Amino acid sequence: MIESPEPRVDYHDSVGVVTLRGEVDIVQAGELRDMLLGAVRNEDLGLVVDLTGASYIDSVGVSVLFELAEKLAERQLRFALVLPEGGLIERVLTIVNVGAVAGVHRSVDDALASVNAT
Amino acid sequence: MKSRIAADRLRDLESITDAALAYLPLEDLLEELLDRVVGILAVDTSAILLLEDDDATLIPRAAKGLEEEVVRGVRIPIGRGFAGRVAATRKPVRILDVAEADIYNPILREKGLQSLLGVPLVVQGAVVGVLHVGTLTRRAFDDDDEELLQRAADRAALAIFSRLSERERGLADALQRSLMPRLPHLPALSLAGRYLPAAAARLGGGWYDAFALPDGRLGMAIGDVVGRGFHAAAIMGQLRSGLRAYALDGMPPHQVLERLSRLLRQLEPGRTATSVYLVLDPHGGALTVASAGHPPPLIHPAGGEPYFLELPGSVPLGAARHARYEQHDVELDPGTALVLYTDGLVERPEEPLEDGLDRLVKTVRDGEEDLEHLGDALVDALLPGGAGNDDAALLLARALPLGEEIVAEFPAEIESIPVMRRLLGRWLDEAGATRRDVDDLTLASAEAAANSIEHAYGLAPGVVELRASAEGGGRVTVAIRDFGNWRPPRGTHRGRGLMLMEGLTDAVEVVHSDTGTTVELSRRIGAEAA
Repeated sequence: MIESPEPRVDYHDSVGVVTLRGEVDIVQAGELRDMLLGAVRNEDLGLVVDLTGASYIDSVGVSVLFELAEKLAERQLRFALVLPEGGLIERVLTIVNVGAVAGVHRSVDDALASVNAT
Repeated sequence: MKSRIAADRLRDLESITDAALAYLPLEDLLEELLDRVVGILAVDTSAILLLEDDDATLIPRAAKGLEEEVVRGVRIPIGRGFAGRVAATRKPVRILDVAEADIYNPILREKGLQSLLGVPLVVQGAVVGVLHVGTLTRRAFDDDDEELLQRAADRAALAIFSRLSERERGLADALQRSLMPRLPHLPALSLAGRYLPAAAARLGGGWYDAFALPDGRLGMAIGDVVGRGFHAAAIMGQLRSGLRAYALDGMPPHQVLERLSRLLRQLEPGRTATSVYLVLDPHGGALTVASAGHPPPLIHPAGGEPYFLELPGSVPLGAARHARYEQHDVELDPGTALVLYTDGLVERPEEPLEDGLDRLVKTVRDGEEDLEHLGDALVDALLPGGAGNDDAALLLARALPLGEEIVAEFPAEIESIPVMRRLLGRWLDEAGATRRDVDDLTLASAEAAANSIEHAYGLAPGVVELRASAEGGGRVTVAIRDFGNWRPPRGTHRGRGLMLMEGLTDAVEVVHSDTGTTVELSRRIGAEAA
């Protein structure tokens, strides 16, 4: 349970997939924000953020996702989230209506397919 | 057969050793003594070298006519050259002609010394240093000279040793105060620590530490650097800091020990230490532990039998290149006591180790619930006369059951939020909440607390109070209160914070008063949501 919660980014052709683990909150938000904004490369089509392994997200974590969505939209890049079904993460992101700024998926493959779809 | 003059010289020497040695500070005392030795023996130089804690090196501590020796910080290995030979053989050495002798320290030749006489400083059968004199002209030192110098050395050795012990005693006290940590205050978690310096005021390498991790869990460590003296104590201080730094970076226990082992090999190859590092989550009692050759922690469940946490064998820190450590997860029930200790607490000379461990188990089993009292009882039972040759460290922890209601105050800092969440989560668990209740209510409460922390106090320090209580019908109320100036939530993420509080609870009420703001969150718990 206390394996390092370091976020990770893998690239699948022209799409970055950021895997967030543990707590996406006010304590971690500063570092996460820099990491997420830095994960988008010039040539990319969009970004996928996988929250399957995250256990907690608060309003500050949510704001980081919204800011990321805004930056991606400015550059006309796509944004997709992978959320586990029926947990706290999904409840929080439903309350704040994250679906308005990102595609919501159940698997990384689905999310990648939606970003790559022309 | 001693000459009259020699007897007078001796009396002259003893007069200062008695009067001055009693009150002079050590450095002044050595200066005074060397002055007197130079005068009485009619020599040109005189120096005192003391043995380092490594028992292998002589360091000049005071000199007359050879001040460079002290200033340059010359280090002379035991067995090498003139002074090294005096210390190694514990016998006086006379050198008639420096030019033809085996001399290690170049300063002796640079100064143009011709003849030398050196005697050992011996305390309780052990060499603690060397006293030597020299002349710029060739001189055959005789038995009278040697006896006189040895008498001076014997008296000086005792005085030096008592001063050094005093100094070490002072340092041991200072270490105890400054290096032993202030234990953190975490809600519903009791902690107590004890450190006992070794007998004869020798500094030791034992330590303990406890600190809140950024995620609200508790890090606890205990360790023991092999060896004694200033050096072991200095290494201990560095390891303690290293461990805390790695732990605060979020590394799991096994990795913390791996890094620490590497650090120790870097600090001092050949030095080893044992340690246990563990992380305790007061919410749920999950314990993760790793050991590097350290005696096993003792666990005492409330109302049960104490038992040693059996961990597989492991190498001490520093003992192996690329050491790998395993970590183990254990679940503790509320009220369970954890006992970490060093060898010095349980070992007594001429007694099997098992006897000490048995005494530890028995004292913990029969001990009081209050950890400070238990700490006192353990020290009384295990080290009735204080620590022995080894220093002793002890660290006790117990996660307490929370009861009907919680009222806790936190510093108004972001770092308090995870701690608060864990406390509330633990209380909700005990109150029969479902996983979903716990998740939703702790998040809503964290949002309320974050708002207080960010807006109530500006840059001034303040506190945030958490209260939680259960009412009839499975309804719980969590109140987050600050004592600052309320201002409306600003910015979009605070707006989302309120949205989350409302979305995750049954009711949110914000009450402003002259003394601050209270956010009350309520929710029915225990019923699985449809």
